[in-house]
Amino acid sequence: MSEINLELNSIVMRFGGNQAVDHVSFRIVKPELIGMIGPNGAGKTTLTNVMSGMLKPTNGTIYLNGRRIDGHPPYDVVRAGLGRTFQITRALGRMTVLENMLVPGLAIRPRANRAEIEARAHEILDLLTIDHLTNELSRALSGGQRKLLELGRLLMLDPAVIILDEPFAGVHPRLQETIYSYIHRVHEDGKAIILISHNMGAVFELSQRLLVLNNGALIADGAPQAVKNDPAVIEAYLGEDE
Amino acid sequence: MALFQRFEAAIDAGIGRRRLGYALLALIIVYLLWFPNDTSQSNYAKTVFISGFFYAIMASSWALLAGIAGQFSFGHMAFMGIGAYVAGLVARDGLAFLTAESISSVGAIVIGTVVAGLVGLVIGMLLLRLRAAYLALFTIAFSELFRIVMLTEYDYTGGSNGLSLRPLLQIADVETARQVEYYLMFALLIVCLLAMYWVANSQVGLFLRAMREDEDAASALGVNVVRYKILVFVFTSMIVGLAGAIFYSDIGSERIIPEQLEVLQMSLIIAYAVIGGMESLIGAAAGAFISRYLLEATREVVITYPFGLTTADGSNAFVWEPGAWRYALFGFVMVLTLRFMRNGLLYPFITWFSGRDLVMKETVAKRESDEDHAARQGADDE
Ligand SMILES: Nc1ncnc2c1ncn2[C@@H]1O[C@H](COP(=O)(O)OP(=O)(O)OP(=O)(O)O)[C@@H](O)[C@H]1O
Ligand SMILES: [Mg+2]
Repeated sequence: MSEINLELNSIVMRFGGNQAVDHVSFRIVKPELIGMIGPNGAGKTTLTNVMSGMLKPTNGTIYLNGRRIDGHPPYDVVRAGLGRTFQITRALGRMTVLENMLVPGLAIRPRANRAEIEARAHEILDLLTIDHLTNELSRALSGGQRKLLELGRLLMLDPAVIILDEPFAGVHPRLQETIYSYIHRVHEDGKAIILISHNMGAVFELSQRLLVLNNGALIADGAPQAVKNDPAVIEAYLGEDE
Repeated sequence: MALFQRFEAAIDAGIGRRRLGYALLALIIVYLLWFPNDTSQSNYAKTVFISGFFYAIMASSWALLAGIAGQFSFGHMAFMGIGAYVAGLVARDGLAFLTAESISSVGAIVIGTVVAGLVGLVIGMLLLRLRAAYLALFTIAFSELFRIVMLTEYDYTGGSNGLSLRPLLQIADVETARQVEYYLMFALLIVCLLAMYWVANSQVGLFLRAMREDEDAASALGVNVVRYKILVFVFTSMIVGLAGAIFYSDIGSERIIPEQLEVLQMSLIIAYAVIGGMESLIGAAAGAFISRYLLEATREVVITYPFGLTTADGSNAFVWEPGAWRYALFGFVMVLTLRFMRNGLLYPFITWFSGRDLVMKETVAKRESDEDHAARQGADDE
């Protein structure tokens, strides 16, 4: 099991006058499965972008296993052990599915044996049930298959902390099952997972801990059942459809 | 069509497409090696081929930079110019503590190449944060600035008259000189292509293509996009710097002039690469070579009237000198290529020979049979 110690200290992300992330702090010190929920525009994706290095926070610091990572480029952050998927998938369109897998594999282990990395890629594609698409250009994949490919690329990176931004959105129930078992498997591998989703059923079923964002602020952090009954959360979010 | 399919099947069963492709390539190389010994060819034809090789280097290295790495630079000709001008100036005036006499023409070429690479490094670092459109604008501005400096620093560069470089080889006999120049540029083209293929086929090439597809995604997948952007800039700048320095110094037949650095010339390089296929190094090289040849061949178009017909004034042929219209037509071909054959006119041949479409057919077939399977299962469920 890899070491896990992720620490966000008072992260602020401002776009002009819009405070998309508002003093968010939390820590992850063990391989937990953490759900992150919040209404549209709550700042979940923005926080993911800050954590993964795509955005430099206006304020605050992030440490991963003792290394400061805020403001570092994504390729550094991912090497430090934090990987993410994209809510709007970003397949490398005119490259094959296999090449999409080799890029992360070779990028973080440039001296590794290519055949070994290819074998690993095939294994993962098999696990994700998209092995029949190996030689297909990834732009030919359907939306759901792209989601699976994103998950596959992440496994090639093997990060200690994984952020999944809406892995279920627009995915057929049968593929959702695949993603479910993927999440379980990766979690059993000793990784911490932050699962961002509007699919309450899945979030409550999978999560051991729940983070709730609203208007950029973290309004709850705790066990799912406790969070569910938190009046602030009910008012801000869950109450809406009850 | 049926005939072609039978031909295809025969090839697949026999020699194999890839090997046929290599055989064809070998034939072309043999022809090009023999060409200057063909006494029926004029010196002029050889000159056309020589510049064809030069532009093949320019277009294929631009294909690596823009087509493979996705960096749409308009500064390619400027880097070529840096190589040529620096080599020329250093050979004539010396460099810092080195006197001109102490620098050989080879030394001058090396210095020109290195300086092109260094400028590429600086430009690459400046451009890191720029996205496509800004990169194009910035590099246009950069190359225009460079051209204007070369034009106005008359005392050093000879202004619009250009600069002649110290010849690499001094050969009195014109015939022999052309021949030597021919082989030199041809060898340079081969070496550059091999070096670029080596990069493009290595894992660096994989990362460059990932960067082209989606820079943010590549970065999130662990690709050090900063390093590879700089690397590809430096590498291609050095290639064209070297090509420029050698092309203009080889036998001292041509002067480097600022006109070569105009946006029009740069646009021609892009057109060659696009027409040949900007994601394929060999495609872009062939595109440049063939385009140069056709542009030369169409300087004057003579169409002899059939059946010995003559016009009232007694001429038996129609003569058309398209002049600059060739370039307009050429531009039109490029636009059509971009619209209808984005991968270039040579792409179908290259994919056919590489057998890449075989792989695709195979996976499509597999997918279709999977779908059949799924459909049958679906029917069973009902
Ligand atoms: N690049 C940007 N520039 C300006 N504003 C931005 C930018 N990115 C996000 N925002 C703003 O930040 C806020 C949070 O957006 P974000 O995408 O993080 O929400 P989210 O919680 O992921 O929502 P959803 O559930 O719809 O995915 C929104 O108000 C959005 O408009
Ligand atoms: Mg979002």
